[in-house]
Amino acid sequence: MKTTALQLILTLCLFWSSSIISAGELATDKEFLPDLLLPIPQDEEYRNYLGLTGAGGSSFSLADIKADVLLIELFSMYCPYCQKEAANVNELYQRMEEVSTQGMVVKIIGLGVANSQFEVEHFRDTYRVPFPLFPDLDKSMFKALSGAGTPSFVGCRLNGQKEKPVVVVRKAGGFYNAEHFLKELLEKSGYQRQ
Amino acid sequence: MRRVGSVAAIILLLAYAVPGFAETSGFQEAIFNPGLLKPVDSTVKVVIGQVAPDFSLRSINGGMVSLSQYRGKNKVVLSFVPAAWTPVCSDQWPGYNISRKIFADHNAVLLGITVDNVPTLHAWVQQMGGLWFEVLSDFWPHGRTADVYGVLRTDGMAERALFFIDTKGIIRGMSVTDINTRPLLEDLVRELAAMP
Repeated sequence: MKTTALQLILTLCLFWSSSIISAGELATDKEFLPDLLLPIPQDEEYRNYLGLTGAGGSSFSLADIKADVLLIELFSMYCPYCQKEAANVNELYQRMEEVSTQGMVVKIIGLGVANSQFEVEHFRDTYRVPFPLFPDLDKSMFKALSGAGTPSFVGCRLNGQKEKPVVVVRKAGGFYNAEHFLKELLEKSGYQRQ
Repeated sequence: MRRVGSVAAIILLLAYAVPGFAETSGFQEAIFNPGLLKPVDSTVKVVIGQVAPDFSLRSINGGMVSLSQYRGKNKVVLSFVPAAWTPVCSDQWPGYNISRKIFADHNAVLLGITVDNVPTLHAWVQQMGGLWFEVLSDFWPHGRTADVYGVLRTDGMAERALFFIDTKGIIRGMSVTDINTRPLLEDLVRELAAMP
């Protein structure tokens, strides 16, 4: 009787295990990035970073960003964990810049969830964030991206204009180690860290 | 043998259970969500231009803090929030925590007030990673200061409210906003800048 109970538990564990494997397989199915429109930054430096040629104030799609891999940080000026993670994210940006000189371009943008322009700028100035940040005051982009709290990250492979951008990484919470996270992002995008 | 088998089964179950919690934020899990509340549930009892009612409340840093101790020295912003460990309140003050310079530039001190007791506030603020400004407990007599200002709700919580008091102790601005949403930082900055 006891043996039967143990066998049942082990069978359940195995069943659970096979469910996890199935979920992993499903995760490899393509998840396309929603077609979000953002305002082209007024700051020329940010326009150049994103490779945008339109005038500041008009809109652009995420697919317009001139990069092979794009990471979207969902943050809030009010989130203490985002504040704590800011230095790590800045370091990640630096490492992205380093690898982007080796024939593959990886970029990062931030969306300030439920933040106004003023609040996003306050966060940028406080932590000297070097990459473009955009407000998402009504959380519409956060919802479209199926955001999982703040901070969280959505990584995608952009594919140029040939194919819709594909989500390759989702991470809720901080990543703690910029090098490891960049390696994960690149590998899941089909690139190797040089 | 049976016991070993049971222990092995429990260990196996735990090993499978742990990853489910690995990526969630401890802070988020600790937050109680009260759902959508009546936006404002009290009537303000003070007016712009009057002397702000004095109070003396226990600080989580130990000791008592009175409004009158700042008279003639600093402008004061009172930030009432409804309750510790609730969604909007738990990020409103961390936002102010990175805005110290804004207050300093206007020679203003910020006093955060809730109706929670000191141990609760202590634990909550620790979870936030600490705050630079005084956090005061209006716990006993329950919500007396909030009531004097007219921001004590019928459920015993405070409203989400800001009062702007000049160096002479006069109320120069106030806002009682929807308890379910966070007031914009720029509105606070605008009120600060407008104070004489």
